[in-house]
Amino acid sequence: MVLLGRFKRIFEQWDIQLMVLPAIAFIFVFSYIPMYGVLMSFQDYNIFKGFLHSPWVGLKHFGMFFQAPEFWNVMRNTVVISLLKFCIGFPAPILLALMLNEVKNMVFKRVIQTVSYLPHFLSWVIVSGFVMSLLSTDNGSVNMLFERIGVIDEPINFLSMPEYFWTILVTTGIWKEIGFSSIVYLAAIAGVDPHMYEAASIDGASRFKQMFLITLPAIMPIIIIFMILAIGNLLNAGFEDILLLGASPAVREVADVLDTYVYRIGIQNSRFSYATAAGLFKAVISVAMLAGANYIARRTGNSLW
Amino acid sequence: MALSLALVMLASLLAACGPSTQQEAAGNKQEGELINAAAFGEATIAFSFYGNYDWYTMPPWGKDLATKWIRENKKVEITAISSGGNAKQKLNTMIASDELPDVIWLERGADVERLRAADLLVPLDEYLDKYPNLKKWAGESTLNMLRSPDGKIYQFPNWYTTQPNGNAGYVVNKKIYMELGSPKLETTDDLYAYLKKVKQNYPNAVPLEVGSGAEGVEILTSAFAENRPSLFNVMQAVPMGDELTSIFTDPVFREAMVYASRLFRERLMSQDTMSQTRDQLAEKIVSGRVAVLAGSSPTEFASRGDNMLRAEDPDDGYMMVWPLRKEGLDKNKIYPGDFKQLGWNVSVITKAADNPEATFAFLDWLTGPEGQRIIFWGPEGLYWEGTDADDAPIFTEKFTTDIENRNKLMDSTINFQWNGNTVYVDTSKSKFEQTLPEEKRNWETRWQTEITWKTQYNGTEFVNLDPPGDTEEGIAAQSIADIYSETRAKILLNAKSDDDVLRLLDEAETKAQQVGYAKLLAYKTEKWQENVKKLK
Repeated sequence: MVLLGRFKRIFEQWDIQLMVLPAIAFIFVFSYIPMYGVLMSFQDYNIFKGFLHSPWVGLKHFGMFFQAPEFWNVMRNTVVISLLKFCIGFPAPILLALMLNEVKNMVFKRVIQTVSYLPHFLSWVIVSGFVMSLLSTDNGSVNMLFERIGVIDEPINFLSMPEYFWTILVTTGIWKEIGFSSIVYLAAIAGVDPHMYEAASIDGASRFKQMFLITLPAIMPIIIIFMILAIGNLLNAGFEDILLLGASPAVREVADVLDTYVYRIGIQNSRFSYATAAGLFKAVISVAMLAGANYIARRTGNSLW
Repeated sequence: MALSLALVMLASLLAACGPSTQQEAAGNKQEGELINAAAFGEATIAFSFYGNYDWYTMPPWGKDLATKWIRENKKVEITAISSGGNAKQKLNTMIASDELPDVIWLERGADVERLRAADLLVPLDEYLDKYPNLKKWAGESTLNMLRSPDGKIYQFPNWYTTQPNGNAGYVVNKKIYMELGSPKLETTDDLYAYLKKVKQNYPNAVPLEVGSGAEGVEILTSAFAENRPSLFNVMQAVPMGDELTSIFTDPVFREAMVYASRLFRERLMSQDTMSQTRDQLAEKIVSGRVAVLAGSSPTEFASRGDNMLRAEDPDDGYMMVWPLRKEGLDKNKIYPGDFKQLGWNVSVITKAADNPEATFAFLDWLTGPEGQRIIFWGPEGLYWEGTDADDAPIFTEKFTTDIENRNKLMDSTINFQWNGNTVYVDTSKSKFEQTLPEEKRNWETRWQTEITWKTQYNGTEFVNLDPPGDTEEGIAAQSIADIYSETRAKILLNAKSDDDVLRLLDEAETKAQQVGYAKLLAYKTEKWQENVKKLK
């Protein structure tokens, strides 16, 4: 009966429901139909024989992937880079939004907002070009600055030293995305009832207390939703940024993540089944983490489903 | 990534639903005119052309003087199929969806063999006797090397040759060299002393530039033994007797890496070689900040730099020096680079072609003297008029006076040079250069004739040694290539002493053996010995 009631409701608002159809069609065509491709990971896929005539080999490619000499290294890099991006990159825009909210000079606030979200629209090719010339040993601005102020005697080879790679990658990513990601938090903050702040200041709460006791709890549902989504994306350590900034063989041992590995092996060497197996492995773990995060979030009443 | 892989498969599914479309289109093309086999030059022949390279875009056919002439006089229509900047994916998609182009222009090796094994290529053997040019200019041994495992020839070579060519070697900054008193620069010890002097006197210059990814270090290896081209580094296999052996245990390679590491540690070598972009490299060279440049094709940027620098100061510029050697070696047996009789890459005609014979006839004409003259220097009457006894073009005065337009024409056709005839073009070019006064000679041609063509090793017997990517040896090859590039990077960037270098090389050998280096070397040895037999 409940089910019937629901259908009735959907039927009554058919004109509104109609609007979701293009999105469903889009997801069906571009996300669901291609999914049959994962079956390739259980075959010895041969491009000439095609999908129907390639032999089935069970879990062979998964076994090869887990035993590959690169496996543990690639996994470590994927996990470390995603955790770094998550732990630093996730709170950063919230912090920026909170700070911008405290700025009372509107002109200054607008300028900061615009300047900080512009890099989002630059492609990674351009951003990596910036980073490479900034950090280069030959007339790179950073090395020149450090030499002038006497921190170092000779230029440091930032881009070829494994110990700097994660820092450069994460910092660049935050610089590029912080402004754009903070927009949604700023919008949430703008929706907080001003009466609460007035009441709090009458009660003698300082600006800091207001931030922690009113603003943050008010936008917490948004933060949690975004956190669940971010956890689902945890294994997406990045692709373009790593491919461009970590191209040098000198940093491969810290830069090779699942996506770049799949690209290198699958597209460059035409080992389709193997690359699909690695990709599928990643997808399964991501879904599990998303479900786990959602399960925990449900206890706070802010879950996705 | 999973998505794009899946799309390849999706394309194959869609193609299976409607396999007739392509044949219909092909049928339409033929309607109205009957094509007999040898139609080239008489009836219009049309085919589609796909260059299997990310960077390659075929210019529109018939829009420049040369292809316009071909279109009008030889009745050839060519449609371009673009790689869209992602050649590997495009080719796979076309194979999976059964929509192959008529002609594919690609690297020799795995992809060609893949297509051939799937019976998608047209054998060229019967045409070879009928149309004379390729057979005449490529020669028997080159053609034999092009034979596929079934004994037939499917590949039309590009820049095939019977004489050495190539640009690998060392370029020196003239001004710095003269200001430092033009010291002797012949051995590796000379080089070391010279670089030290440069570093002392020119703090802003790069003493030794080795290009991107320390490519120049490969070239330097050739200085430490006779008959040891840098090719063996690239192959990751060193011939010893009848066998190919490990690069990591090769004494010559080890000595070269110790030397390179010392140059790097003492900051005598470009420090950003592992991360710099091509633009950064070009800027350094063109602005004259490089004292010595080692590379597999250093001439490209150096000739540009030479022009720029000489425009400001006639004494400035770049020059090439005879390849460096370790003290005591014979300077005439030092080979920084190599050439292959087979040239660079190949064109193959697929079974999708309506009229493979006419297509071959056209390619054969294009690689012959008339075709080469037109695709290089434009139609007759403009920059050349008539030919001499050797069939080489006689260049007109306009060729040397109207340089801007001539270069424009030559640049516009560079991407139509699918089957360059090295011997014909190089002979015509250098014959003409000899007639010019020195200051008017082309910088590249001058050093090619004086130095680089004399110092390139014939590496023909080492072609096609690579196993297919999805075999056991292919998987090992991938891992070993990674170990190799990583080890080189570590040696340059991390090694603090000569002992460190040797330790890193030992570690690399152990790792390589664990992933199956021995098996890979056995595979490569077998392929190599097959080649040696074919060449006899």
